[in-house]
Amino acid sequence: MLEVSGLAAGYLGERVIEGIDVEVRTGEAVAIIGSNGAGKTTLFRAIAGLLQPMEGRVVLDEKDLTRRPAHRISRAGIAYVPAERHLFPAMTLKSNLVLGAYPRRPDRETLELVYDLFPRLHERQRQQAGTLSGGEQQMLAVGRALMARPRLLMLDEPTTGLAPKIAQIAFEALEGLKKEGMTLLIAEQQVPLALSVAERGYVLENGRIRLSGTSAELDQNPEVRRAYLGVA
Amino acid sequence: MKAVVLDGIVLGLAFGLLGVGMTLVYGLGGVLNLAYGQIVILGAIVVMVVMEDGVATFLAAVLGVLAAAGVAVLLDLTLMRPVYRQHGEERTLLGLLLTLGAAFVIGGLLTWRYPAGALYINVSGEPVSIIGVPMAVGSLWASVIALAVAAVLLLFFGLTTFGRGVRSIIQDETGARLVGINPAFVRTVIFALSGALAGIVAITQSMSGPLTVNAGFELTTFALIVTVVGGLGSVAGAFLAGVLLGVVNSLSAHYIGQYITTIILLGAAALTILIRPRGLLGR
Repeated sequence: MLEVSGLAAGYLGERVIEGIDVEVRTGEAVAIIGSNGAGKTTLFRAIAGLLQPMEGRVVLDEKDLTRRPAHRISRAGIAYVPAERHLFPAMTLKSNLVLGAYPRRPDRETLELVYDLFPRLHERQRQQAGTLSGGEQQMLAVGRALMARPRLLMLDEPTTGLAPKIAQIAFEALEGLKKEGMTLLIAEQQVPLALSVAERGYVLENGRIRLSGTSAELDQNPEVRRAYLGVA
Repeated sequence: MKAVVLDGIVLGLAFGLLGVGMTLVYGLGGVLNLAYGQIVILGAIVVMVVMEDGVATFLAAVLGVLAAAGVAVLLDLTLMRPVYRQHGEERTLLGLLLTLGAAFVIGGLLTWRYPAGALYINVSGEPVSIIGVPMAVGSLWASVIALAVAAVLLLFFGLTTFGRGVRSIIQDETGARLVGINPAFVRTVIFALSGALAGIVAITQSMSGPLTVNAGFELTTFALIVTVVGGLGSVAGAFLAGVLLGVVNSLSAHYIGQYITTIILLGAAALTILIRPRGLLGR
């Protein structure tokens, strides 16, 4: 479904990532693993169109999206949930969800799906987004992204800043989404959590893909175990 | 006292209408359009010229509003493009410089071509008594138009999908792009709306007295004050600030003297920046 090939991107002429090849198939969950500063966010921003790629291509369902502006990529079916969430703080939770469907009016079915996934959001729908707790804001960010009925959902560090218990709940919700058939691309520093949801993963190091394989392979890989799983 | 307050409210609604076009553009991208007053004047001169050719007042007014909106769109598509490519302070600064330049060019051309240009729309009729105070028909009509515009804008931004989109850009531009909103397109539409509002200001201002070709910078100054006091990007804030400032203006003109009013209004703006930098209803 998503094919990223030879992608290079960065800031002020400096390349942060280079030669990135990533593939995500329909219905799959894929993890991008890497330490802080490895280039995960740069990769996601380049796919989402928030950052112009310097080289390479981004193709979704055989449609070339390279160098399209972010709003076109969003409308083409890629929903990106950044780590900073970028919610609309002075609007109600419900308005945030409604805007997720822009430029369409939200359909009841999708709204119910989001509320089923996160019952907490239903309880708080009249509350201003800026007054929600970190975990609730993360749920809202995912909910807003789902309102567009995306083909692919990209999540950058969905558990950053969340208490371990809430991070666990967040990942259970992702499991639920996967069962519904959603295609996922997840960047995560908490490698065990990421590998528990994903079928496959890529290890990003210093802006390049260092390793790739199934979650089981990565889980057993001595380098991955040493670097990310805290096993000597 | 009643008459002074009522005068202040009428003046304040005019202030609100003047400020709302500037505050929307500012809220959406951090650009203070210093050519705003000159766009008002351009609208007024178009109405004047067309009326001199014998076109009916209402049709002339519509043409004036369209002309002001057209010039605004032209500015957005040319001058403002490099401005929106910048971010933060650089955008603000470049926006100030370029719109100031546009103000001089538009104002200069109009003054050169129509040195004695002035628009006065005579609304005939006996003064109407409001709670015992006789009010001129022209300024009452101006107030009605201002209130109608406020109502339409509030409904538009509150209820429509596009209106929500505009508010979302004001709150988080990256978030807006991620949900599929094109900020450049929305900014062009809002710039056009702001121009149309400037055209409406030209009409309402000339209903209570002649609007002269050199009034541009004065109008911009008042619009700036309303923007600062009302809070950026807030329609309700602009009208609330307008009415408050209008009443303050009337009271100080009546009890102290006309000479002091501009200083007091500027003082109100300065005080707002010190006490409540985001304005009355700004985010």
